[in-house]
Amino acid sequence: MEKNHQKLLESLLNDNSFNNWAVKNNKNDIRFWNQWVLDHPEAIETVDLAKSIILGIPFEEKEIDPHKVDHALQKVLNSIENRKTEPTKRVSFGPKKIFWQLGIAATVLILIGCLFFLTRNTEVIHKTGYGEIIELKLQDGTLVTLNGNSQISYDKKNSRDITLKGDAYFKVKPIPATNTKFWVNTEDLRVEVYGTQFHVNTRDEKTNVLLDEGSVHLLLENGGFMKMAPGEFVSFAKEQNTLTHEKVDSTLPYSTWKESTYIFNNIGLKEVMKYVEQTYGIPFEFIDKELTKKTISGGIPNHDLNICLSAIEKSTGTRIVLKDKKLLIIKEN
Amino acid sequence: MEISSEKAVWDFFVGGDLNAFSTLFKHYYSPLYNYGIRISNNPDITEDCLQDFFVYLYEHRSSLGHVRQVKAYLFVSYRRALVKTLQKQHLMRSLEETDTVFLFSQEEIRIGETFSTQRAKTLEAILNQLSPREREVIYLKYYSNLKNPEITEVMNISYQSVLNTLQKAFAKLRSRLETAAIREVLKK
Repeated sequence: MEKNHQKLLESLLNDNSFNNWAVKNNKNDIRFWNQWVLDHPEAIETVDLAKSIILGIPFEEKEIDPHKVDHALQKVLNSIENRKTEPTKRVSFGPKKIFWQLGIAATVLILIGCLFFLTRNTEVIHKTGYGEIIELKLQDGTLVTLNGNSQISYDKKNSRDITLKGDAYFKVKPIPATNTKFWVNTEDLRVEVYGTQFHVNTRDEKTNVLLDEGSVHLLLENGGFMKMAPGEFVSFAKEQNTLTHEKVDSTLPYSTWKESTYIFNNIGLKEVMKYVEQTYGIPFEFIDKELTKKTISGGIPNHDLNICLSAIEKSTGTRIVLKDKKLLIIKEN
Repeated sequence: MEISSEKAVWDFFVGGDLNAFSTLFKHYYSPLYNYGIRISNNPDITEDCLQDFFVYLYEHRSSLGHVRQVKAYLFVSYRRALVKTLQKQHLMRSLEETDTVFLFSQEEIRIGETFSTQRAKTLEAILNQLSPREREVIYLKYYSNLKNPEITEVMNISYQSVLNTLQKAFAKLRSRLETAAIREVLKK
């Protein structure tokens, strides 16, 4: 009897149709097992037990605050980085030498202290890892959204003159009283603004600027100077000395991002995947070449690789698979 | 994470990709923390040990060998590291000899059709009367959503004994819940 019970229990637990009945999933299964229970009254205990094991206990899993997780991740990444560069040499102190060594150590500490004091925090750096987006409020009230794999730096005394590597969106706080300008410096150009919203991207050995609101001046590294009006797009590459200046409208393809969303207007899938590569650091490959012709219009969430990819998959009808350190783009079957 | 993409992320990570490492970290930080806190009952140790564990994992990625079940692997390795730390600090002799592990609280039970607040309270008491081992099986299966084969790997017990433990635990749960329900009725 006990052995039969055991056997039945196991087969019930492993039976898909029985599992469906337990969670009230499939009409046919429900009908079948309702009848089965009626026909096997001797098995009722076993059936009940199997059912309660399948249903289990409805626990509510506690999720840790994502900010806390990000913070912990940064700590771990830093410590991995430090261990890479840390010298492993160890110096052993003899008992006689210890006093004057301590003396030297103290002097060095004091010197370092002075240096630290003199140069303390003159430069502020904000840096994001792959796939990380941060929103910053600078001292003057300007808001910066820094995309993944990007960095801004500025002198502590002047947060209105910053240097950008990567991809960022700016909402510059105007200071009408003094008309103080705000500058964004890149390898290729210098953006001069009063108060406005714009997007700067320095990937691919060129700098793209897309102006949303207000007006900006650009001082190009080749000495050129130009004014931009809202809705205009400028791309300048110092190395090749190439310049594009055009008005963005609904027929023109362009891409930008705001509030952890990429906004694409009629952008080819290849270009879109380039964005993904630059933000998350994973290269891509088109298995089906004709898929490169697909275009995307609309917003794609950008704060999480998986969500980002599935949004791209849905809007282009493709499949994107992570394999051998590459994102493979294939046709949806 | 789906199994196939998880495997890919894992392979990436073993290859030294910090991006894949970050993905694994973000995905498993919560589940592992929740698991650890139930072993140590100490948030600071749980957190420190978990972060050290991830650093260790990264540094020893090339000698990890073949990992078939990523989730189970992470659970079992972290469990081992945490118990070692607790032993070193004389906070635990062994997991088997500790009664205060895997305790549940009623706030973690979803109140709904099947469980009223009253019933959740009763269930909490009954769950905590089970043996620590039974509680761990229940925890891994229903809280962390591990499959039976994964539980065997984490707890280093046979498939049969996972089944037996579940069976025993639920037989107890059912009879005690019934007794409690009858008592409730009699009180009224």
